Amino acid sequence: MVKIIAKNISKYFKKRNGYVIALDDVSLTVESGARFGILGPSGAGKTTFMRIIAGLEVPTKGELYFDDKLVASNNKIIVPPEDRKIGMVFQTWALYPNLTAFDNIAFPLTNMKLSKEEIRKRVEEIAKILDIGHVLDHYPRELSGGQQQRVALARALVKNPSLLLLDEPFSNLDARMRDSARALVKDVQEKLGVTLIIVSHDPADIFSIADNVGVLVKGKLVQVGRPEDVYNNPVTIEVANLIGEINELEGKVTKEGVIVGNLKFPLDKSYKSERVIVGIRPEDVKFTKDLINDENWILVGKGVVKVIGYQGGMFRITVTPLEGSEDEEIVTYMDHPLKRKEEVLIYVKKGSVKIFET
Amino acid sequence: MRPVIRATLHYLALVVISAIWLIPVYAMLINGFKSNLAVLSTPVLVPPTSFSLSAYHIVFNALERPLLNSLIVVIPTALISTFLGAMGAYFFYTLTYSFSKFLSSLSDFLFSLITLATFIPYQATLIPLTRLVVSMGLLDNYLGIMFAMLIFYIPTGALLMSMFISVVPRSIIEAAKLDGAGDLKIFMKLILPLSLPGFISTLIFIIIEAWNNFFIPLVLVTTPGMRLIPVAVESYTGGYGTIYNETFAAAVIASIIPLAIFIFLGRYFIRGLIALGGGGKGV
Ligand SMILES: Nc1ncnc2c1ncn2[C@@H]1O[C@H](COP(=O)(O)OP(=O)(O)OP(=O)(O)O)[C@@H](O)[C@H]1O
Ligand SMILES: [Mg+2]
Repeated sequence: MVKIIAKNISKYFKKRNGYVIALDDVSLTVESGARFGILGPSGAGKTTFMRIIAGLEVPTKGELYFDDKLVASNNKIIVPPEDRKIGMVFQTWALYPNLTAFDNIAFPLTNMKLSKEEIRKRVEEIAKILDIGHVLDHYPRELSGGQQQRVALARALVKNPSLLLLDEPFSNLDARMRDSARALVKDVQEKLGVTLIIVSHDPADIFSIADNVGVLVKGKLVQVGRPEDVYNNPVTIEVANLIGEINELEGKVTKEGVIVGNLKFPLDKSYKSERVIVGIRPEDVKFTKDLINDENWILVGKGVVKVIGYQGGMFRITVTPLEGSEDEEIVTYMDHPLKRKEEVLIYVKKGSVKIFET
Repeated sequence: MRPVIRATLHYLALVVISAIWLIPVYAMLINGFKSNLAVLSTPVLVPPTSFSLSAYHIVFNALERPLLNSLIVVIPTALISTFLGAMGAYFFYTLTYSFSKFLSSLSDFLFSLITLATFIPYQATLIPLTRLVVSMGLLDNYLGIMFAMLIFYIPTGALLMSMFISVVPRSIIEAAKLDGAGDLKIFMKLILPLSLPGFISTLIFIIIEAWNNFFIPLVLVTTPGMRLIPVAVESYTGGYGTIYNETFAAAVIASIIPLAIFIFLGRYFIRGLIALGGGGKGV
């Protein structure tokens, strides 16, 4: 398997009036056999980064190494895509519409010197793992979305690549099928040991598949780490938002804490700016009618219930501070509903409040 | 406007336009069946009272050889032009997406040149073309006519095919590259099948153009036995007087092949055009 090293990679696209900076000085190492996730909002440069790794795009600046071999540098492709031993699943899957599932999967093998039986054996082997053996004689348009996605995955894996690139592979699947598709990808990766890079804007993909994640925002790699660490200690509120739901409150720093209307959040250290953003994950908030006697939960003040929703078997409760800042909202999920306009006590988990300077 | 009135007007317009197109065809069809006397003494649009096949008989005997000649020259010419044109179009497509700015500008420039070439009137090139063919020793030879036609129709093929090929999604070509396929394989296995309706449209277009091409066979053929159909048909007008029923019959015979091709392959022609507008769903 292969280790990917990106050194100061930038990519500019020419436009009529100047340049678009799609990637801005991205440096990154993905260890051999690792599962790496790239998370970022739309237009952050995720696909561009994948295409540079695949050799479908050339980096304007910087160097790309596969192990210690230089494959692209400063506007030059040194190793072309066909020699990089890459399996890629495109955002749109890019199956060959005029070929059956079997021929789609066999296509990479027909470019190697293999016998017909050997090709058949390998296609059937991978088709069995991905559970598409019964649709091999179908054309792509005769396959369901999930089957198409698995054919694309099979085509990427059948050539025993050293590197598997997945560009939002689940975005065209319905929510129910995504979980099994994620599990499948992870299983197959473990079985084959291939280095994996997955791009997504859905944190669920990252958590279920990746061991490490890099967050791209506007072409810059702003944070790299284990998904849990990024989730718990995001460097900006934007990153916090990308990797999971978070409550965002605008507050004022005082000696006693951060003030949001009638609420007061504890401060762990001092901050330079006066206005800050308070971030709290929904699971770190509790709304109660009575006091809690638990030192792990800190009372920050009173609020009033504004909206009650229902989602995934839980009640999604939105509360606003009782006074002062009525447009600020705090959300959490509870197993029982509250009444609208009800007054509640707002608790936050100790050490969970994230403060971001603006 | 009410939808009914609108639709009615649409159909009315279609009927009028079709009629304008069909009247000469109708005249051509009926007058060939008239006798020598009837064709001179009855109005053009009045059908014959008795069908006479004599004109067809005479004309067909005279046109048999030119018909065969035309088929021998036109079909390979059209196939080769479309195929090589498609290859050229794919070549320029890959150049446009190459990473080198120089190559992609070069590709744009060369392609503009090709486009321009398709607009050059044959008449302007006749003398150098004839001299070239003569110096190759191919005057009055099928190969010579084909060679001259290819010069004009390969660029036409490339121009038309470039439109059809650009509809094939780029990600499919990129996927094939990553799968280790070379350009020739990508062309044969993916580009060609995926632009098949376009290929057939182009083929039909070139067949019809080449079939009706008058100047090239006129100057490159010197013996009557080598004449192609447009030249042979032309000999039915003028000269020492026109025998109208034979002229009409000759016109019918000369247009049978393009007409038949259009009838049998016309749906591909339409599909090819639809593929252009519909984002590559032509297959
Ligand atoms: N070929 C191109 N020419 C010009 N600009 C481009 C090109 N490809 C991408 N861009 C620009 O580069 C930026 C990054 O695009 P990219 O496709 O990498 O985003 P992304 O993170 O994959 O987004 P999404 O989540 O929507 O797929 C965007 O601003 C985009 O408009
Ligand atoms: Mg993308």
